[in-house]
Amino acid sequence: MKNTLYKALAIVAISITLGSCSSDDSSNDVSGKGKIILEFDNAYGTNDLILNTQPNKTSNNEILKISMVKYIVSNVVLTKADGTTFTYPKSKSYFIADEASAEGREFELSDVPAGDYVKVKFGIGVDEEQWKLGASGQGDLLAQADDAEMFWSWAAGYKFLAFEGTFTSPTVTTATSFMVHTGKTGTDYNYTEVTLDLPTKALVRTTITPEVHLITDVSKIIDGTNKIKLSDNNAGGMGAMIMGGANLPLITQNVSGMFRVDHVHND
Amino acid sequence: MKKIIVMFALLVGFSAFSFNVKDSISAFTFQRLAMMEDFDCDACGCSASGGSMGFGSMLNNNFVGLRYLKQSYTSRDGIFANSPWIDENFNTIQVWARIPVTEKIQISALVPYHINERKLTAGTEDISGLGDITVMALYTVFETKKDSTFFTHKINLGGGVKIPTGKFTEANNLGSVNQSFQLGTGSWDFPLISEYVIKHKNLGLNTTMNYIFKTENSKNYQYGDQFNYAGTFFYLFDLKSVQIVPQAGLAGELYQTNKQHNLDLPNTAGDILFGKFGIEAGKDKFSIGINAMLPINQNLSNGNMEANYRWSVNLNYTL
Repeated sequence: MKNTLYKALAIVAISITLGSCSSDDSSNDVSGKGKIILEFDNAYGTNDLILNTQPNKTSNNEILKISMVKYIVSNVVLTKADGTTFTYPKSKSYFIADEASAEGREFELSDVPAGDYVKVKFGIGVDEEQWKLGASGQGDLLAQADDAEMFWSWAAGYKFLAFEGTFTSPTVTTATSFMVHTGKTGTDYNYTEVTLDLPTKALVRTTITPEVHLITDVSKIIDGTNKIKLSDNNAGGMGAMIMGGANLPLITQNVSGMFRVDHVHND
Repeated sequence: MKKIIVMFALLVGFSAFSFNVKDSISAFTFQRLAMMEDFDCDACGCSASGGSMGFGSMLNNNFVGLRYLKQSYTSRDGIFANSPWIDENFNTIQVWARIPVTEKIQISALVPYHINERKLTAGTEDISGLGDITVMALYTVFETKKDSTFFTHKINLGGGVKIPTGKFTEANNLGSVNQSFQLGTGSWDFPLISEYVIKHKNLGLNTTMNYIFKTENSKNYQYGDQFNYAGTFFYLFDLKSVQIVPQAGLAGELYQTNKQHNLDLPNTAGDILFGKFGIEAGKDKFSIGINAMLPINQNLSNGNMEANYRWSVNLNYTL
């Protein structure tokens, strides 16, 4: 009886001693450099995007089965809580997001100064300044884009976004292909930038690699602020091909509104 | 936090002065069960160990007991409307003991062992092992002495410590699934307890409230503080050789938001209200009990988690 009691008391005593120690938080050491991951998770509305099989309905009653979603993410700028910014080196700052591959979902930025980041800014597409450097100034980007089929020709330039699949609508009853490709046109450059607040600070440390979980709602591409009917672009029933013209600036505007940060993991 | 430690030290101090232990010979305790559930199973707080403390028995006796507890949850594996719902089953076997130190002070200890599984889309994941051990002390502040009064009252207050003996695995909290798939919180947590029992003859109502302060663990993860409350009616049928106690009531749990590196984690707070019912039977030195809890209303992890049911069976032996 007494033994048990002594043991109980001993445990209590030990726990009070240990429990009152303040624990060292590894987030207190804000020095050196770390990494941060931007995860691009493609969705259609509130649903996770499932390629090829999942029917997705637009507000114009068109049903899309999506086979490809790719876009070039570029020129990342991170803003700290104190307002100062870190611009990721331009030479490393291009990433081709691709729903179909695991590598196309996570953009890992390295050598990022430790800090508490509250905002992320990035471009969709390749900025005009970069393109003006000419083919010789593109580094690895040109080859990567070419491999991913995100490049037409030097004169026509990069594809900023590729969105493809098949659709049906009240007027188009057999599954018909669609392709939406954005990029520069004769009149518009169509590069756009997005700035997003992080709902939780991203704590970049030597020991912590935050993961910023972004959701890209691809329904917005043709069904965002601007509504574009694929049926109206299905000239001669050969498929809806939107790769230029007046629709591209509208789609570009839609694209700039399709991103949000769902949450941040500080693991 | 300091206040709790001071209060707890006082309680321990009290007990250290009074070693004239009086072993009551009462056959077995009923009201333990009334108290068990609300302390027990944490939906969000992961100390699914919390455990049946039975700190509020009205009969000052010693016992050891063994208990099996099953909890069933369904959780969303992902952040989308079409993300799959997965089953989670938490099984706990626990040994617990209660030792009265003086007439007014009792110490309880609880040692849980968990066997948990969740059926993720990618395959079933299992964890098992020792959970967090809890040690608590309870002090009887007030007790009606006379049997002649219409109602008898009893008020107990106490506190304790939950020791991080259960393994906390950071990787289990990656992604956006239930953040409580763990053997322990990994932190030193401190429960404060209160209990009020009112009785008239064989009918009684037991009301408990407790608050668990949770601290940051070594992985800089901190489960949200937790508030539990319960009210249970019980009735004692004394059939001479056998005693039977049916009981029914309500139990609720409130969870604060979890934190990591002191930053709030979204969708980790929640609340749930259960209806509970059970029966305990006792003969000589043994008692056996069965208890079940069914949710009436719940909002766990912003709707991304649902408790289905809990049930338990226990066997106690009076020392």
